[in-house]
Order: sequence, then structure tokens, then C-alpha cells
Amino acid sequence: MIGKSVPMLDALARVTGEVDYMVNLRLPNMLVGKIVRSQSPHAKLLKVDTTNALQVSGVVAILTGADLGANAFYGAAIKDQGVVAVDRVRYVGEPVAAIAAENEDVAEEAAMLLDIEYEELPSVFDAQEAIQSGAPTLHEKYPNNIFIHSKLRHGDMDAAFAEADEIFEDTFTSPLAQQSSLEPHVTAAQWDGDQLTVWAGTQAPYMVRRVLSENFGISQEKIRVVVPSLGGSYGGKGHIRIEPLVAAMSRKTNGRPVKFLLSRAEEFVTVTKHAASITLKTGVKRDGTFTARQVTVYWNGGAYADASPLLVPQGMVRAVGPYRIPAVHVDSYGVYTNLPPAGAYRGAMSSQATWAYESQMDIIARKMGFDPLEFRLKNLFVSGDHFATGETLHDVHFVDCLEASAKAMNPSTSLRAKVGRGYGVMMKSTVSTSKSQARMSLADDGKVTLFTSTVEMGQGAHTAMAQIAAESLRIPFEMVRVVGPDTNVTPFDSTTSASRTTNMMGNAVIAAGTSLKRKLIELAAPLLEIPSEELLAENGKVFAKETSISYAEILKRNNLNSLEETGEYSTASKMDPETGQGKATPHWHQGAGAAEVEVDTETGHVTILRYTSAAFAGRVVNPHLAQLQNDGNVIFGLGPTLMEEMILDGGQVTNPNLADYAIPSIRDIPLELISVCIESDEQELHGIGEMTLPPVAPAIANAIEDAIGVRIKDLPITAEKILHALQEKSKP
Amino acid sequence: MNQIKFLEPTTFSEASTLLAERGDDAKVIAGGVSVTLMLQQKLISPSILVSLGEIVNGDFIRLESDGLHIGALAKLHDLERSQIVREFCPALAHTFSVVGNVRVRNQATLGGNLSAADYAADPPSMLMALDARVQVQGAEKKREIPLDEFFLGFYTTALESTEILTEVIIPKPARAAYFKYTSISAEGRPCVAVGVAADFDSDLCKDLRIAVGAAVETPQRIESAEAMARGQTLTDELVAAIANEYSLTLDPLTDVRGSAWYRREMIRVFVQRALEEVRNDR
Repeated sequence: MIGKSVPMLDALARVTGEVDYMVNLRLPNMLVGKIVRSQSPHAKLLKVDTTNALQVSGVVAILTGADLGANAFYGAAIKDQGVVAVDRVRYVGEPVAAIAAENEDVAEEAAMLLDIEYEELPSVFDAQEAIQSGAPTLHEKYPNNIFIHSKLRHGDMDAAFAEADEIFEDTFTSPLAQQSSLEPHVTAAQWDGDQLTVWAGTQAPYMVRRVLSENFGISQEKIRVVVPSLGGSYGGKGHIRIEPLVAAMSRKTNGRPVKFLLSRAEEFVTVTKHAASITLKTGVKRDGTFTARQVTVYWNGGAYADASPLLVPQGMVRAVGPYRIPAVHVDSYGVYTNLPPAGAYRGAMSSQATWAYESQMDIIARKMGFDPLEFRLKNLFVSGDHFATGETLHDVHFVDCLEASAKAMNPSTSLRAKVGRGYGVMMKSTVSTSKSQARMSLADDGKVTLFTSTVEMGQGAHTAMAQIAAESLRIPFEMVRVVGPDTNVTPFDSTTSASRTTNMMGNAVIAAGTSLKRKLIELAAPLLEIPSEELLAENGKVFAKETSISYAEILKRNNLNSLEETGEYSTASKMDPETGQGKATPHWHQGAGAAEVEVDTETGHVTILRYTSAAFAGRVVNPHLAQLQNDGNVIFGLGPTLMEEMILDGGQVTNPNLADYAIPSIRDIPLELISVCIESDEQELHGIGEMTLPPVAPAIANAIEDAIGVRIKDLPITAEKILHALQEKSKP
Repeated sequence: MNQIKFLEPTTFSEASTLLAERGDDAKVIAGGVSVTLMLQQKLISPSILVSLGEIVNGDFIRLESDGLHIGALAKLHDLERSQIVREFCPALAHTFSVVGNVRVRNQATLGGNLSAADYAADPPSMLMALDARVQVQGAEKKREIPLDEFFLGFYTTALESTEILTEVIIPKPARAAYFKYTSISAEGRPCVAVGVAADFDSDLCKDLRIAVGAAVETPQRIESAEAMARGQTLTDELVAAIANEYSLTLDPLTDVRGSAWYRREMIRVFVQRALEEVRNDR
């Protein structure tokens, strides 16, 4: 079953609009929730008076900071964010109050009658300005606004730079962007006494359960988190978002459920991609080897730490690059500013980092006269090399990925004028410490239910898990159904993110299926009167040479209605907090891309003639879905590369809609789009949700320089920036 | 908050009378593309919507002796596919085909598109270049407005508060071209829109109209620049000179699709490309 392109389980339902998205969720007696948001980027909250708003007929309850008490604050790591604002607002769009009402019109009317008074405070929006002395402080605990500083210290930098023949120093920036999943954030909650049920559009139901349990001071089993199929997430529904607000609001409605459905504009103030400025100082010898690299990264975390304390350390190791460099120092800073909080954005931190190190690769190659492709191939890590954390790298396939991309590019053909080629390679850690559990239940009709807390968000994870379940239990794919996530029903999983599911949940499913198969063989042995060591399982049957018995029959003959087994897979990696030495990740994500572009030198407009991508998959579970992931990554990646940028004016997003905030359309995709999955002898299951995304921006920037000789260092690479650079270049 | 009342007259004259009776509280809605956006963004808050959806025969496409007549309620997607429009003026059919995406074009009406007077639109520039005029229905009378006099400013037209655009009349052009330049997403609104209509007597240009939109508040023509072509052969030098005149004379705006500097450059490029296309189109 593994390796077959079975159709995605809910493909037809998704394209015919029959998937029960959260948008359609209707519960008996359900109320509509509405968030009232701050219009100030930074202010003391002098007054939030609900008197007039509560008079509106149909308003059931209003939640303000005064309701919250001791557990007002939450966060994935640092509890700095009020469920709604308490005494102070720190960004335009921050929730100040929430309203539960009979319908939307009533809620809107009440929102306008809410009497809010602010006392403006000075604000700061740029991370590097926020760390200067004299900049306004957002959270008193972090006076210089740096809430996390991750350090990697490997080798003697002074000595290593002294050995270099050339030293390159460049800064690359990525702007604020939004995940823009088609389905916005939707969450509903209902209390029954001290029991809480939350229907959440989240990637991490068990994290939501834990945080809510901390917030409300109730034990975790009193909270049930149910996650229906999502309409995309891209990291934006990872960690913890509006769930505490929704749960706190519904605590005031006498047991009536409340549902919050965010508008597109609200999406832009709920979570963003970290704006980042990355400076790379790299020492290179004339023979084309590296001596040292110093990396300084400022991640703009926005007003609240959110997922940043978990992501900034990842951003540190993801900023180094997949090349042999003897000495590496990285300083990765998470900084508070008066902007919406930043979180994971598909290819989290890696996209910003790869943009920097792969752009600089070409700058170095061009200056020193190396071929950009050869220069990469010469320096890429291979198995047995040591990364800057000190760890030894295994199952390394960067060269395979790059060569596969380059080969599909057909580099032997010569190019027309204004056409250029460029390459990018990425190396990304996954979640360092996490756990997945799966339960498989065989019924006496031979059908199997896989209980998993893996979230299906359109990526096909449930299909892949069903394939792995079928393979491990040796049953036909059609016999498996997938249930979950529902924390009352499905076992623990850390999160569906960081491309960890196929690897982590996949191995948990294999463990469950394998032990269920073993149990069936043991139960079959006395029935067949053959020792279990001589029995095999295949196609839903336990068999020896000439005799067999179906799984269903084994259960019936043992008077069992069902038989269940649980599997678990966990990883733990740890780095020294002062030096970053240790192990960053259980395995590394590896990917590459190659772009062929044509630039209109009169307009600066870029046409992607061809893009080829490659991802290391270890062992491909579903080739068709894998290709869709790889191609989808490339198309997704064209957004931040060429067009996506949140425009801000005084901390207010001025393009919070998909007419003015452009995302790629079907007519923007490369004229030719090719992708390859690399497998290896080890046959380990690897995730492929992000691998081909981070190389897109540098591959295109490198191709543009190859075509017309201009270098853009600030995303997005708009036509206007290119034309401007061309005109600057032609000035005497 | 009050529910919006939705009225569905069956004739334009009835619709206009409703507008006269209800005053500023009423707003006309056809396909709803721009009205829905404005409602969502709370830029308007009418208590009554006068829908044109039930008006009979408001979406005709027919050829008459004085040119192409298009009912205001014709959908852009129907216009782009219409054999009559394609044969009458391929550049016009092309113009309709590049508006937004197919979901938008299935909903948007030509009358709505023009009446919204959104600067970042495609049809206005092409239609102005084609010397189109519109029929409007008031509460008491009908009148005709040349498109040259129709667009007054951002979201502002020559329509009186009770008037509704009912029909667009387009004289047959000899040659025409439309260039939409999108600077960001291919399905985005135009950064610059250039419509050109021209007539030639062998190599000599008899008549030329160039309207530039999306980069400026309303689509604009520069008659002195157009006049440079009259009676002349459109040499590369002349094309460049006319393009340059448009680029230097117009006062472009800045938005997410480009700065004023960039738009000035793009006006030059796309006026030139559009002129080259009408010149070479034989």
C-alpha cells in the first residue's frame, strides 16, 4: 500500500464542497461571537464600558479584561497575551472585548456601542528599532524588547575569518506576510458545568487542551477538543490562537455554545509570518571552501511572543545552511514590536533563512568566479559530515536533491538573452522533541478504524496514514477508515506541523499496526494449530502454506467484537542553551529547487519559464499526493517571493484583503512545473510538507541575477524593484 | 442594526423612481461585485438596495447601424464569449476577458463596472478609447453621456442620484488594442490600463484615441498627444514620442500595485506597446 497513488480520501468531497468545514458548524442554541479590536498600536486601556452595548436586544454577554482574573494570560511558551486585552493594548487589531449575541447584526451594533478609551503610548514597529535604547518597552519583563536570544557557538571565529581570502557581508530581509489559508480561523466552544468542549480549527488539539486547562484551572480530561477537516492552515493554525478567547466568552453564556468565524481582515491581525532581517558574514577561501559564517537574525515577533520562543531557536539552526563551514556563530533574536503576533508560516523561519544563505551563495560564486551550481555541489553536506551543532549527519541527500533539480532544468542548453537560471537548497529542522500515538481497532467484520489526532487540512495526511495502517496490518486500503482528532477519542499527538506527521505519526501507526498483526497471529495459531512463528499475515488473513483464516474469523472464533492496539513514536533532541551544541532535530529536512526565468527589462516583470523542485522523502507513501505537496509548495512560495507583503501605516494593515494583498493565482504558476521525490536505501518515512518551498525565493532571485545582472535582497521581488535596480545599474 | 431592504423592480424606469423616492438611503445593486465589497468594508450603509436583477432584457448584446449596443446588465463573462463582441472588436472581448477572474466575471455587469468608477478597472479605458457613450435612465427622462464625460473622480460619475446606466453604445473601430499590465498577481487589478483605437489610410494614421486608466484617478486621454499621429506614419520615433507625452503629462498615483514613478514608466511602456499593436495589426 505504501508507494501507491491512491486518491485522497476526501478528494471528491473537497472539490464538490461537501466537506463539513467549521464554517458550516451549527450547534443547538448557538450564539455568534464577535471580537472588538484595538484601533491603537500601543495604549493604556482607560475604560472598556459595556453598559450601552449590553442594552442591545439580543446581546447575551460581553467579555472584557475585567472578567479574566488570575489566568488572564496565555501563550505557547511565554504567557504574555491577554485572552482579551488587560489594561493595555499593544497592536492595532488586538482583541479588547468579545461579544456573544443572537446574530451577527446584533453583535455589530453592540460592538459600535462599546465605550473604549485609550491613552496613547509611543509605539515601535521595526525589530531593529525596538532594541535600541529609548525605544518603547512592550513588556516590562523584557525592557529591551528581546524576549528570546538563541545562540550557536561553534569554532573560533576570529581565527577562521583570518583564514578567509574573501569575506562577504550581506543583509537580506523578508516582510510581514499572512498565511492566507482559504478557510479563516473558526472556533466554537460550549461549557456544560465544568466540562468544556471546543470545536477548533487548529493544528495542535492537544496543545489547545493543555493551554485551556492551565487557563481555566481545570484538569485536561474535562476539556474535549474536536477538530474537523480544515481548509488549509500553513502554520497559521498551529500552536494556540483564539481558542482561549472563545472558551472564556462561552463561559459567560449559561451553557450556550458560541462560534467565532474570523473575517479575512481579522486574519491579518491574528497571525503573521515573521518579518526578518538576516545578516550573513561569510569567509571563503580562493579554493571555494568556507572558513566561517556569522549570522545575525532579528525576528519581528509582534506584540506577543506566541509561538516565537519555540520558533526562534529553530530559526537559529535553520539559518546556517547545508554547507561545510568549520566555524559558525549564530545570534537569533526574537523581538517584540507593536505589530500583530507572528507564528509559524509554512517553511517556518527556513524560508527567511534560505532566502538569505542561498542568495549569498550566488553573490559569492559570482564575485569569486565559481559556477553557482558547482560551488554548491562542492560544499554541500554529505552523510557523516558534522553540522554546526556538533551532530553527525545521517541519510544526507542535498546533492541528490540539487542534482535532480538541476538535471530537470537541462543546464546544457544555452539561454536566450534576459533568461537566467538559479538554484536553491534548504536544510530545515523539525520539532526537536515530540510524540505521536495512534490506535488501531479491528472490528469483527474485518474493518479497521485508525484513531489519530493528526489534523487533515487538505494535505492528505489521513490518506497517507490510512495507507501506512493498511500496509502495517496487511489489509486492503479500502478496509481502513480514519477518525479524529477528538481528544476524548483519539490518542495524543504533539502537533500536525513542521512536516513531522508522515515520519512521527507514520511510525506510531506502523507500531500500532505491527502489534495488532502480531496479536492476530498469536490468536490464530491455536485455531490453525500451527505455531505462530510459522504464520504470516497478508490481505486481511493469517496464513501458513495451505491454510488461512481471515482477521474477522479470528475475532469471531475468539468471541471478540474488536481488537485494539496502540503505537507510539517519540523523539527528543537537545541543544546547550548557551552554545547551541548538541542535537537540533531528530532528522533534517532536505530540499532543492531550480528556476528558469525571463525578465521583461522594460517593466521588470518576471515570467517563470520552468521550475523544478526536489524533496528528500526517504520513502514515498503516495507519489501523487507527494507531487501535489511539492508543486503546491512551489506555487505557495511564489507568493512571498514575488508579491506577498503586508503594508502597514502606523501599525495598521492597509491591505487586509485578497484584492490588495496578492497571492499567486493559477495564471502565475511556472509555465513548466516539475517535481521529484528522492528516496533512499534506509527507507525511512519523511515528511514532505515544506521541503520545496524555502528554495523558491533564492532560486528565482539567483535566476534573475543570471538573466539581467541585478541582485534583489529584500522580498518580495516586485517588478518595480527590478526595474528600479536595472535603472540604477545603467546609471554611469 | 436594521436589516437592509431589498427591492426588485422590473424596469429601469421603476428602479429610477424608487431611487427618487428613497433618496440617499437607497443604493443600486446589479452583479454586486463592488457594492458587496463596499458594504463589507462599511464604506456605504444603505437601508435599501434597489436590485436590477429582475429587470427584463437588460443584458442584450446587439449590432446596430451606429455600432454595438450592450445592455447594462450583460455579464462580463458573457461579453467576453459573445461572438458578436468578438467579431465587432476582438480587443474589446479581450478587455472583458482579463477582468479579475472567472468568478468575478460571471457576476460582474458592464453597467455596474462603469458605474462603480473604480479607478483600478479594465473596461473604462478601452471603452473610452472606443469613444463609447452610455444611456442613462432618470426618474423623469433618459439621456446620453459620452464616456469622455462620464468619469469625474474616484468612485464618482456624471450619474445623478436617481440615474441608472442602462446601455453602452460603441461605434465600430477600425483597429483597437487593449493592454492590461498587472504588476503583482496575474489575476490582480491593473497597475496600468491602456486602450487604443485607431483608423488608418494605408500607412497614414487618420484617427487615434488613447485612454490610460488604473494609474490615474479616472481614465484619461491627451488630445494633443493623439493629434501628433493624425496624418502621420506611426514610426517608432513617433510612437515613442506619443508614449513619452502620455508618460510625462499624466500624474500617476501610488498604491500597492506601484509607485507614481513606476506607473509613469509603465504608462510609457504600455502606450508604446499598444500603439505598436494597432500599427502592426493589418
